[in-house]
Amino acid sequence: MAALVGMRACFSSALQLSSPCLLNSSYKLCAVPLGRRNMAAEAKKTFSRDKPHVNIGTIGHVDHGKTTLTAAITKVLSEAGGARFKKYEDIDNAPEEKARGITINASHVEYSTANRHYAHTDCPGHADYVKNMITGTAQMDGCILVVAATDGQMPQTREHLLLARQIGVEHMVVFVNKADAVDDQEMLELVELEIRELLTEFGYDGEKTPVVIGSALCALESRQPEIGVDAVMKLLDIVDSYIPLPKRELDKPFLLPIETVYSIPGRGTVVTGTLERGLIKKGEDCEFVGHSRYFKTVVTGVEMFHQSLDRAEAGDNLGALVRGLKREDVRRGMVMCKPGSIKPHQKVKAQIYILTKEEGGRHKPFVSNFMPVMFSLTWDMACKVTLPNEKEMVMPGEDTSLTLTLRQPMVLEKGQRFTLRDGNRTIGTGLVTDILTVGDEDITNWG
Amino acid sequence: MSLPMLLRTVTTELLKVSVRQHVQTFHTGCQFLAAEKALLMKLRKSTGYTFINCKKALEKFDNDMKQAESWLHKQAQKEGWSKANKLEGRKAKDGLIGLFVGEKAAVMVEVNCETDFVARNEKFQQLVKDAAYATLAHHQSKNQSKTGYVKSILEGSDLTKLSVGEGVSLADQVALTIGRLGENMSVKRAVMLGVPAGWHIGSYVHGDVSGHTDMALGRYGALVVFQGGKEESRQVLGRKLSQHVVGEEPKTLGNMEDIPCGESETRLLPQVFLMDSSRTVAQFLLGQEARVLDFVRFQCGELTE
Repeated sequence: MAALVGMRACFSSALQLSSPCLLNSSYKLCAVPLGRRNMAAEAKKTFSRDKPHVNIGTIGHVDHGKTTLTAAITKVLSEAGGARFKKYEDIDNAPEEKARGITINASHVEYSTANRHYAHTDCPGHADYVKNMITGTAQMDGCILVVAATDGQMPQTREHLLLARQIGVEHMVVFVNKADAVDDQEMLELVELEIRELLTEFGYDGEKTPVVIGSALCALESRQPEIGVDAVMKLLDIVDSYIPLPKRELDKPFLLPIETVYSIPGRGTVVTGTLERGLIKKGEDCEFVGHSRYFKTVVTGVEMFHQSLDRAEAGDNLGALVRGLKREDVRRGMVMCKPGSIKPHQKVKAQIYILTKEEGGRHKPFVSNFMPVMFSLTWDMACKVTLPNEKEMVMPGEDTSLTLTLRQPMVLEKGQRFTLRDGNRTIGTGLVTDILTVGDEDITNWG
Repeated sequence: MSLPMLLRTVTTELLKVSVRQHVQTFHTGCQFLAAEKALLMKLRKSTGYTFINCKKALEKFDNDMKQAESWLHKQAQKEGWSKANKLEGRKAKDGLIGLFVGEKAAVMVEVNCETDFVARNEKFQQLVKDAAYATLAHHQSKNQSKTGYVKSILEGSDLTKLSVGEGVSLADQVALTIGRLGENMSVKRAVMLGVPAGWHIGSYVHGDVSGHTDMALGRYGALVVFQGGKEESRQVLGRKLSQHVVGEEPKTLGNMEDIPCGESETRLLPQVFLMDSSRTVAQFLLGQEARVLDFVRFQCGELTE
């Protein structure tokens, strides 16, 4: 082992002299095929799905260089063919952004490193981000915290970390920016020390969190490569290895929300729907849950476009032939799933965003005991809203946590998305955060 | 191991080496005593000013903490002004409404900043409080002799000229906070109400920032001036009415006899009451034997004529 380490050290020190050029060329090597593809299809690029996709975001103070860093990343990677260079102005002047006054609201910057494809989201405000998270427009699998070396953390950095915690970002990488404006190495170390302390205070692993010191501006202006291009490269390298891949939908237990039920004479009963997640194979055990019904059976055939297939994947619109099933046994709104993977519940805690009038919602707020209809998967059910104690009402455009009690138990799980509607208006959209048990206080007169 | 993978390992290895090397060169480059470092950390922690300024201050006064601190405070005011001038054009549409109800008087202010991250910060919240108290003090000194209903609205420069004590204007205070938090801010508007005996002020702040007992801070605020109501339930009545004003956004008061015109009703009295959809506000008031005389509604970031 010792010999191996020694050898590695020798090897790297021998190559040390030529480090910057080797670094660049190694990236170019990996990226050649990508670059070529770009040129070939300049007219309309086809999105290729050859790399795992990860959603990443930047947070930090308005002046600490989040947009500059984003521009620098696209510039550095565009040299390797993994991105289209977006200038600071391009990012900052996107139409959505102009409308809002400040930075990007939706994820419209994308790039790929040698290993992964990234969608990059900026986070203009706390409320914007919570809204995006609830409605599902942009999630973050990991996050880059940008702190300027000149200022150190700002008083509001605490609010940034609080947000990251709240929305469940577990993996944080720190980029200490503007290192070119600080000539004192000791000070950079102090900034790093301080940010590590703060991370620990907010429940992150402050000791082990990677911190990269550099200057996004230098990378953009192609000067001082050791804190410019190289630092950005190093940051991407760390992001590649430190932020884990999200669990893919295919790896999860299968779930088919039932849309329609047909009985085919001579064959049996077929249920159809779009496979929400997982894989279904012929001969697999399955379970039907929902509308106060529950039974187990076996999938005897899977069909798509009147052709039978061995397995169906998440996203496929399929029909499944099920053993011993009668047409009246199942109805729309139930699900077919891997036995034991999901259960019906009557009371849940949820985080919800209330649409504004401009977004198609109502113009007025609602109070506790409001009774909208909840829509999720293929079912809908009347429910009662209970606001947390400190809240008396919820205005359009706000997000809140609340408790929903359904008239009847329906298939629900943590992380499931739903919509609330009242009459012919959508009120808001939400995310189940917790499953609660029903108590005596929940007995409601549903009229 | 395949070739690209090998190359990658080499690359990361090289990066580590090159970074380590830089650190070493810097170490020898400018030696910085451990004691000074500790002082710098201490000064930064106690004052919260930027690293660069803390370091400058310590160098200037030969590590005298007291002098460094007072220099930092003076510097902060100066830098606040230059920062404020620099950021002047940037849109500030977020922020907070601050609302304070005292004896027969109430004041409500709106202070803006750029992001809601800053709106959640204590220093910004202190600025909102300062603005509210400055408005209140200004009116108390001006309107002491007056009896009867007083409603006065202050905007823009009239507001920033107000004093927050010891020769410091509200504008100075704003600049200082801009310097500390690095976002553009402005005190947008303030309203002050004073009522004669027998009149009451109800209030409600929506989206309340928890943890403030002396003043309510939030995204929406409303004040309702009313007469009557039962002694013991007056506070609840005022709160409910204000809540309705926040929620239903009425533009004018209307008359008790007005006939409601559906969803788009903008007159307060004929609107359907938020807490009880079987009645209009006027009907609710009749039941409570109360009369609404006036109301003010602030929504953070809204356009004003």
